[in-house]
Amino acid sequence: MSDDDRSRARALLDDAAVRMLKASALQRLGIAIASTALALAIGLVVVAAAGYDPVTFLADVFEGAFGDENSIGRTLKFTTIFVLVGVAVAVAFRAGVFNIGVQGQFIVGGFATVVAILWLAPLFPAGTVGGLALLVLGTLAGVAAGGLYAAIPGALKAYGDANEIITTIMLNFIAVGVVGYLVEGPLRGEGNRAPNTARIPEYVSLPSVVFDSPDFSLVGLAVALVVVGIVSVVMIRTRIGYDMVTSGHQESAATFSGVDAGRTVVTTMAFSGMIAGVAGAVFAVMIQGYYSDPGGVATYGFDAIAVSLLAANNPLGVVPAALLFGGLDSAGTHIGINSDVPPQLIDGIVGLVVLFVAAPELFRMAARRTGLGGERR
Amino acid sequence: MTDAGPPAVRLDGITKRFGDVVANDGVDFTLEGGSVHALLGENGSGKTTLMSVLYGLYDHDEGTIVVDGEERTFESPRGAMDAGVGMIHQHFQLVGPMTVLQNVILGHEPTENGLVDEAAAREDIEAICDRYGFDVDEHLDERVVDLDLGVRQRVEIVKSLYRGAEILVLDEPTAVLTPQEVESLVDVMTDLAADGRSLVFITHKLDEALSVADEVTVLRDGEAVGTVDAATTTEQELARMMVGREVLFDRRPRETAPGDPILRTEGLRVTGDRGLERVTDIDLTVREGEILGIAGVQGNGQTELVEAITGLRPVDSGTVSFDGEDVTGLSRRERIRAGIVYVPEDRQTEGLVQDYDLTRNALLGNQTVEPYVERGFIDWPAVREHASDIVDEYDVQPPTVESEGASLSGGNQQKFIVGREIEHDPDVIVASHPTRGVDIGSIEFIHDRLLDRREEGLAVLLVSSKLEEIRKLSDRIAVMYEGEFIDTVDPETVTEEELGLLMAGRRLDGADADADDGGGAVGDAGGPDAAAEAGESDDGDTTAPDSEVER
Repeated sequence: MSDDDRSRARALLDDAAVRMLKASALQRLGIAIASTALALAIGLVVVAAAGYDPVTFLADVFEGAFGDENSIGRTLKFTTIFVLVGVAVAVAFRAGVFNIGVQGQFIVGGFATVVAILWLAPLFPAGTVGGLALLVLGTLAGVAAGGLYAAIPGALKAYGDANEIITTIMLNFIAVGVVGYLVEGPLRGEGNRAPNTARIPEYVSLPSVVFDSPDFSLVGLAVALVVVGIVSVVMIRTRIGYDMVTSGHQESAATFSGVDAGRTVVTTMAFSGMIAGVAGAVFAVMIQGYYSDPGGVATYGFDAIAVSLLAANNPLGVVPAALLFGGLDSAGTHIGINSDVPPQLIDGIVGLVVLFVAAPELFRMAARRTGLGGERR
Repeated sequence: MTDAGPPAVRLDGITKRFGDVVANDGVDFTLEGGSVHALLGENGSGKTTLMSVLYGLYDHDEGTIVVDGEERTFESPRGAMDAGVGMIHQHFQLVGPMTVLQNVILGHEPTENGLVDEAAAREDIEAICDRYGFDVDEHLDERVVDLDLGVRQRVEIVKSLYRGAEILVLDEPTAVLTPQEVESLVDVMTDLAADGRSLVFITHKLDEALSVADEVTVLRDGEAVGTVDAATTTEQELARMMVGREVLFDRRPRETAPGDPILRTEGLRVTGDRGLERVTDIDLTVREGEILGIAGVQGNGQTELVEAITGLRPVDSGTVSFDGEDVTGLSRRERIRAGIVYVPEDRQTEGLVQDYDLTRNALLGNQTVEPYVERGFIDWPAVREHASDIVDEYDVQPPTVESEGASLSGGNQQKFIVGREIEHDPDVIVASHPTRGVDIGSIEFIHDRLLDRREEGLAVLLVSSKLEEIRKLSDRIAVMYEGEFIDTVDPETVTEEELGLLMAGRRLDGADADADDGGGAVGDAGGPDAAAEAGESDDGDTTAPDSEVER
């Protein structure tokens, strides 16, 4: 490549980056819809090439996502969890901390919720009041566990200069391993043949309110939306939020203004982990009712990165982004059950959607970091 | 120096802009073959930019580059290297985990049958080392991370020579070196020139420029002030060329007398970014209603001193006290809350968040100030109003709080920052170059605001490289040289020549800065001003009874 070509390529990239960086919320929505459509189109070609009927497949996708009450309930169930884990990721990314460990914090938080409810249950009367108290205490346990578990990599980064991407990924493995060991042995429910904890009492549950679904509760979704609201207020209206976001935008300016960089990293991680803990608690109570081997728990915490990226790390934007991912997951479940298209193919198509949807955001972040598009001189 | 042949490098009217900022403005520069040419100027005066243009790192907007009599434009450093131009950057471009040998041949590996011929490379490098007496060949198989900075620098030089550089640019090569290493570098440069190579030596240190160079070109604010023969010029002349003269401002008579001491440092020692001590045993006192100016060529420890006082940099020893309390252990935020604000030297990275609008930028540093923040909650309408007041009062263009920090020109960014800090209502303002890049009308306004604040009883510690600014505003001037206050003088009576001498590290009694200094060199506002009696002043005589700056 000659220098001339290179500078032309650079100019093109620069131009694209400028457009990406300046995209408005509406344009982002357009990008998301177009990306999904394109990914689905490619997916359909793959489905056809594999010898299945693409038209039926497409119909199944929509039916699985919004077809009936059952589908909508399932979509909203996934959406609830995606909102929470998505916000957890968004908080950290906003503050310039790459918390890839939301999955681990989600597992630890959910597990702590179940264990706390099981341990405390004998101390409370069975029934609505006891159930409510256990719900609150269990959630608090999950929040605390998630927050503390995230504070570890935060402290390692702040005071030991350890890259948080690596430590959080490692801590994901540790969470899976340790919780897996505990449900396998010491904390396995009596008489359980599978490696699960005992079930939490029936009266400790979230009422479904609508759709009469066993594992979706409007209360759970409401909790998620309240968390979004709280996080938005914290990020925009409080000093802590301003300090965190400023650190993420321009660390030297934050330091100039009196922000303690190390402490802010720990705070950010803990805050992010606490939200992941809420996600874990809602997952454990609303969906599972016990805790199983986390090796088999869905990877919400990883999909959350794509959710957050799609939302440009904006807590409010996470809601529609989570709905898209919830719908896709729901469609995947439906197709897995109702058609003979192999599940690997569905996963692949969901992966394509993630790639297409998240790629522009990744590009945007890359543009910021490299200074393409003139953000930095 | 050889007179024959065309100059090694001739730059004609080089102009380089970054957006609105003109980094080089029609600079002419001629490097004679077989000579050392010092490029002297303060930080940000455009020295490195100019040489980066030559080296192909930047495209220039105007002007021509002639190398060895041939007009050239290098698209990349590769092209420059092929034409025999090498540049040794301030931050070494070496791969730490690789060995010295690998670093030297990187990108220019001699090969045989597609394999790297290490033996040949070793021979070539040893030949270069023998020729100039380098010790680099002793370290060929050591990893670069395990070497001292001085050795790494010689590795860089050997690397350039290995690639056939006839013209070598050294960017602030002495900044990372100990005095002994500086001496050996000077020998190396002399030897290289004697061998017919041509060197550009970028520095902001006057004595170094004079001790090595045949010619010195001074840059100021991106313009070439002039080129002088090192044999006939003086440090004083160079200092004046670097700092420049501006319109003489009138001093404003003070209406109130300074009050009690409020900011004090004792025995302050501070380490700079590169691990060298940059502030050596500084004692200073600023009183309420007083402006203490710190003059000096940039890079003599001023930055580290103000960062230590404002809480942005840890101190090695000594104390900072504020209003009688030791605040050395307080964080930056605690010091802001106590009433010490700071107009930072670097407005781009510290003073403003580039992609925040001015409302959000107005909160920067004010996160603990009511009514903008109460009980941890931000009152954005109040912040917005504050931002709007700053924009109005300090004439920030465009006059809207919606603009993003990055969209403002440098001068307007500066006005906004200065406004924000002055209107913070502090007890002490530490101001680094508060009017850098600001238009003349706004300079007057900022000066007036600082003087008003002084009359209200605020203490101001002013660091500036503009002598006129220092002389106009300060009640006392402390001159900083290599981490120490070389003298403190009265701005009413000191002459520019005397300041120039002091800034060059020469004491007014003729001794230089490295000589032992016994008494306190002090001039107090209103005190006897022996410092003005150039050449005759004696440390003992200048000590006023209520001396505020002790050494």
